[in-house]
Order: sequence, then C-alpha cells, then structure tokens
Amino acid sequence: MAGVYIYSDRMDLAAELVGFVKENQNSAQVLCFTQAEADQLTSIGADKVCYLQGDSPLVENYGQAIAEYLKQANAELFVVGATARGRDLAARVAGYLDCAMVSDASSLSLESGKLRAERMMYGGAVVQSEEITGLCVVTVAAGKYQPVTGSASVETVQVTADNRVKLLETAPIVKEGVDLRQACNVVCVGLGLEKEEDLKIARDLAAAIDAELGCTRGVAEERHWLPVEQYIGISGAIIKPQLYISMGVSGQVQHVFGVRDAKVIVAIDSNEKAPIFRSADFGIVGDMYEIVPLLTQAIKG
Amino acid sequence: MSKIIACYKWVADEADIKINPDLTVDLKKAKGKISDYDRNAIEAAVQAAGSLGGKAVSLTFGNASAKQSLKDALSRGPEEGYWINAEEAATADGSITAKALAAAINKIGDYSLIICAEGASDTYARQTAPRIGAALNLPVITSVVQMTFNGNSLTAVRKLEDSTETVQTELPAVVAILPEANEPTIPGLKAVMAAGKKPVTEYTAADLGIDFTPKNQVTAVKGYVMNRKNIIFNEGSTADQVKALAAALRKECVL
Ligand SMILES: Cc1cc2nc3c(=O)[nH]c(=O)nc-3n(C[C@H](O)[C@H](O)[C@H](O)COP(=O)(O)OP(=O)(O)OC[C@H]3O[C@@H](n4cnc5c(N)ncnc54)[C@H](O)[C@@H]3O)c2cc1C
Repeated sequence: MAGVYIYSDRMDLAAELVGFVKENQNSAQVLCFTQAEADQLTSIGADKVCYLQGDSPLVENYGQAIAEYLKQANAELFVVGATARGRDLAARVAGYLDCAMVSDASSLSLESGKLRAERMMYGGAVVQSEEITGLCVVTVAAGKYQPVTGSASVETVQVTADNRVKLLETAPIVKEGVDLRQACNVVCVGLGLEKEEDLKIARDLAAAIDAELGCTRGVAEERHWLPVEQYIGISGAIIKPQLYISMGVSGQVQHVFGVRDAKVIVAIDSNEKAPIFRSADFGIVGDMYEIVPLLTQAIKG
Repeated sequence: MSKIIACYKWVADEADIKINPDLTVDLKKAKGKISDYDRNAIEAAVQAAGSLGGKAVSLTFGNASAKQSLKDALSRGPEEGYWINAEEAATADGSITAKALAAAINKIGDYSLIICAEGASDTYARQTAPRIGAALNLPVITSVVQMTFNGNSLTAVRKLEDSTETVQTELPAVVAILPEANEPTIPGLKAVMAAGKKPVTEYTAADLGIDFTPKNQVTAVKGYVMNRKNIIFNEGSTADQVKALAAALRKECVL
C-alpha cells in the first residue's frame, strides 16, 4: 500500500508520528518487530500495523529488509523516531534504498509527493530548508506532534534479518538524573568548574532558588560529575525553565540550543567574550567562585 | 597490511559563523576544523591499529579547502592520508557523502575496519556510518563507546538512551563511535613535523564514478537569532553587581 510508513522503538513516539501523518490525511502504516509492540500499536490511529517477523533481537539488522519492503509497498515516505536506534535504522534503510534522508527534521510537510523539511545546522546556529521529491526517509524527535486514536488491524510479514551483528548482552542504564524538562528553574555548571567538590556552590544556589542542577556535555560525559540525563543541549536535554543560570559555561551553540525556550537566561563567566553573554538576558563577568556564593546569599536575603 | 580507515570531515567552525541582520549566513570568516567528534574517530582508528594490528589511515571527502586538514589529521596518528578532492563535496547530501566515501574505500582496498564519528558538527545528521555500511554491504555498529578485538572478531559496547548493548561481528565492519569512547591526543610538535612527511593519496570526483547530483534540494539557509536583553552588570564591586542581578531577577518575577 502506498502512503507513509512509520517506525519507532519508542511506542509513544510512534503514536506521535502517526499523529503527524494524520494531520495531513495521509495513510499511515506502522512497522514493528514484536507481537507485544503490534498489540500496543493497534490503537494509535494508524491504517495498518505491519508486524515484521524475523529472528533478530536488533531492529537495526532489518535495514535491508525494510528497504525492500518499502520499495515493494511503493511507500512515499518513511518516518522514523529520532532515537539512537531509530537514526541508525533510518540511515541504513536510506542507504539500501539509495534515497534522500532528512535527519532530525524540525518541521515537515508533505504535499502532492513533495516533502518540505527544515533542520538545524551548525549546532542550531542555522536553519536549512530542503525539498525532496520521491521516496525519502526522515527522522523526527519526540514532542513535535499530537498522538491520535483509532484502531488498526495487524498484518504479519516474514522478513529476513542481516544477522552479521549479534547481540551478546544488554543491560539497562539506571537513570540517576532528574527530568530537567519539567524543571521550573535550572542552575547549569560548565567545564569552568575546577573540581567535583565545587559542585557544592552550584547546589547551594540551586537550593536557594528551588532549581534542578544541569550541566554541559563535558561535565557529564567526560568528567562524569553529573548523570548524563542532566546535560543540556542539542544532544542532551532540551529544556524550558522560567530561569536558567549558567556558571563556567562558554555558551557554545550546541549547548545554548537546549535553553532557547528559557524565559530568563543568566550567565556568569570569567571571559567577557564568552558567547554565552550574547545568549543571556543578564550577565556578570567574573569568577564564579566569588560571584555564585554572593548570589546565593543575596537571594536568601 | 590491512587498513583501519578513519573518516573525517573538514567543517567551518560554528563559533565563527556570522548571522547578518537579514538572517543571511556569513561563513567567510569561519576557520576550518576537523569536525570535533571526528577527532575521536581518528583516535579510535589509531588505538584499534594498536590492538588489532594493521595500519590506521585517514579519509576525507572535501573540496580544495580540505587540503589544510590533511596534515592536521595525520599529526593525530594515522600513517597515510586519503583525500577525495571534489568541489561536489560542498553540495553533497548524506547519500552522496556515503557513496563517495564508499567508492574511495573500495579504491583504498584491503581494510578491516571503517570508523566514523557519531555525527559531523555542521550537519549532525548521523547518517554516514550506516549509509557506508549499506553502500558496501558491511555490518554496522553505531553508538559505540568501547571496542575489543579477538582475532577477526570485534566486540563492541553500544550506549543507547536506556541501555547498553554488547554486540559482536566479524571484520570487516563499519562503526560509528560516540565522543565518550576516547580522549583524542593533542598532537605535539614532533607529531606535527612527522605528519608533513606521511604519504597522501588524492582522488578526484571523476575517479569515483558516482553521480554527484544531490537528492536533497536546499531551498533556503537562514541564521537563527535569539533576542535577549544582553544586560551585563559591571558597575561597582562584585557585591554590587550581584545585588543588581538579584534585583533584576526579582523584577522579572523569576525568583
Ligand atoms: C555535534 C556536537 C554536539 C554537541 N552537543 C552538545 C550538547 O548537547 N550539550 C553541550 O553542553 N555541549 C555539546 N557540545 C559541545 C559544545 O560544543 C561545547 O564544547 C560545550 O558545550 C562546552 O562546554 P562548557 O561551556 O562547559 O566548556 P568550555 O567551553 O570549556 O567553557 C568553560 C567556560 O568556563 C569559564 N570559566 C573558567 N573558569 C571560570 C571561573 N572560575 N569562573 C567563571 N567562569 C570560568 C571559561 O571562561 C569558559 O567560558 C556538542 C558539540 C558538538 C560538536
């Protein structure tokens, strides 16, 4: 069946993507790889649920199989949820189809066979608009479209996996961090912080203004001082607090991308030329070790 | 000797991008750099050559400006450089980039492993490794934070949002590594000097025999600007500045 095909390893995101397709009154076919997923997906308003049955626990191993399936089905568009697994699978499918792909589209419209998409470039500094005719693969992050409801039947199709990559072991990552996306206020530390113990000055300020603690990518991924869920930016959490206060954060575009929707941005950094000041409402140039405790005091009053 | 190929992209430094008042984008003053995470890919190739055996080499698809990247890449440890010198790189989409790299990889020949980064700092599209895998029909492992080799077999740890996975495949294979996989070494003077003497092979667009017409038509490129107050408190002592900041936050009703 022609129309739009959808896949996400996150069921909630698959539902949002069906919502997108239905906004445009297209037909939506959702792909999945287990019976349990198929059962969940029958109520999200798709026209059909396609249960692709094979023998691999890794969905990435179905890249070529999906490419062949989409070609046979005469698909117009393949929309994939932008998760680590989704992005990988989507690019493999695009590779096997040798077709166009738009990664992490920030806006999307499909009209008479022509896809118009926008996406961020240079860490968010630039928006690029693209037009594609013909079959295309797109990845879309969560939170952009509203899910709908409606029931669909399941069609089971046998597919062959590429089993050259074998899964030996899987272990859940225990989430230690807080969900910054819900936070009203956020205090953010960057690599300007010298020692892990010094997180205390940030925690004290956070306690004074009832804020959650966030950080830049390096603080979490390289120094491991805070859980990875707590780093903010284009590859981390995208937040919209009332108040965001940064200290020792240079404000590179990839980080600032994650705080664009904050109501008020405050920057404390010793380098007056740091780009964070161009993205801030209020700033103080100076040593955070001096300024932050004073600010905590001033707020406590 | 079997090669471990690190793919990298020479990109404009996003920190130097100027957005004009009419939102047009000025890249003229932007310096070039090896895309941040591609330095991790190069480091991973050098480390893999150490444990797996073989020779680390670097490969880039770029226009004339990418010439500057060759010495930089080689100073980071690869023994040989390969450069697809093609003006077409400037308009390449994900499909063309992967096909150009795949065609060059076929020319380089005798490889055991192809290493890409998570994504380039300009497009951050994260398509290249899976697409190269498809073009060469090789096994692909993405989101890799650790690799161990046992004979011809690669065991990799992947980091996904909610889980880690240990997977295994036989070489040759394509991997995309995350920046947490390693800490790229900063080349010393000696490495920089030695880099100039390492061999570089150049391919032209015509050598590759692929169609360079992009499938993604770029219709507009616009700068993103955020309108903020940009008020710096710089009067008086630090204590005065902090007081002024606290007062401003109270006025905004965010305290
Ligand atoms: C593709 C890609 C994706 C990325 N995604 C993200 C992302 O999602 N999130 C993210 O955060 N980064 C991301 N990055 C990295 C990003 O480009 C920056 O490197 C990073 O945000 C910098 O972190 P930082 O500001 O903590 O460190 P630095 O840039 O090192 O800045 C440290 C700052 O501390 C200041 N400082 C030092 N000492 C003091 C002191 N005593 N008092 C006050 N100030 C002091 C310095 O002046 C400096 O401005 C990404 C990069 C790429 C290429």
